[in-house]
Amino acid sequence: MNNKFDALKDDDSGDHDQDNSSPKDGEKERNDDEEKDQNTTKRKAVVPGAGEHPLQYNYTFWYSRRTPGRPASTQSYEQNIKQIGSFASVEQFWRFYSHMIRPGDLTGHSDFHLFKEGIKPMWEDDANKSGGKWIIRLRKGLASRCWENLILAMLGEQFMVGEEICGAVVSVRFQEDIISIWNKTASDQATTARIRDTLRRVLNLPPNTIMEYKTHTDSIKAWEDFHGLVNASGGR
Amino acid sequence: MSISSQKTSSRAIPATRRVTISDAAHLPHDYSSTPGGTLFSTTPGGTRIIYDRKFLLDCRSSPLANTPPSCLPDIPGVTSPPTNTVTNNKTQPQESASSQSVPPVDKATGEDAQFEMDI
Repeated sequence: MNNKFDALKDDDSGDHDQDNSSPKDGEKERNDDEEKDQNTTKRKAVVPGAGEHPLQYNYTFWYSRRTPGRPASTQSYEQNIKQIGSFASVEQFWRFYSHMIRPGDLTGHSDFHLFKEGIKPMWEDDANKSGGKWIIRLRKGLASRCWENLILAMLGEQFMVGEEICGAVVSVRFQEDIISIWNKTASDQATTARIRDTLRRVLNLPPNTIMEYKTHTDSIKAWEDFHGLVNASGGR
Repeated sequence: MSISSQKTSSRAIPATRRVTISDAAHLPHDYSSTPGGTLFSTTPGGTRIIYDRKFLLDCRSSPLANTPPSCLPDIPGVTSPPTNTVTNNKTQPQESASSQSVPPVDKATGEDAQFEMDI
């Protein structure tokens, strides 16, 4: 349960009613106990406007940035991860995207997350807990283009893996940038292979690009090992 | 779905196809029309609304795609210029469904308009 996004709490708690595809019920119950409820705002469903092109799913943009000096602090993450907003149509997507900086121009240790509405960008979310992600490390200068191609493919349902896609992340780091796409079932090799092949196609990657698949279980373990957080009590 | 004796041969899963539109007026307005958003009823995973990259990029020029979203949280350096230190840096990231219509004329007037990313 030690995850850098634990601190998200449940600030999208109002989103569950309009999502008809993700395991919302389980997710909600699961998070109720940790919901201190500093955010009880109920939000209405995001729907496509008149004349707009509906997307297969609604999505939510998130942004996070690590606070220097307190990398493992739950509180600093809580303060530094933000929902940017949710959208239901192609046009609504562009409205957000056009008013956000491009990832290549971000500074510091920052991430953009674009997840299906109702799925939090955290390993323990019910939609993610059995899942994993394809990771592609990019040299500096490529992130903006690759991120755009990645999310356009996701929004346009180019992956053809049914309900499997959860979301995508771009991580801006010191010497490299990383893009990843998360899916629900890490053990489903047909799906992960198809996602990999689609990534190659839509990102136009050089043939020697290394792509790595990592299960979230492994990510959690690595994170715990790194931070020395073997907690017996279940506390954070 | 008639149960005729006619056998249908199997076919490959349809790939993305490209539709070129010169004018926004040619865009369909409902779920079941081409060009653009295309419903595949027989792909794995069932019915999907698919769009290819070019179509999505074309939609960007639509007036509907250019109004700033309402309730865009002000995150300096992310949703607004990093130099923007005035007023509400504390805007709550609360979402409202009104994002598809008119942006509210709220406290930070003009703050959204000054920040356009050009690609």
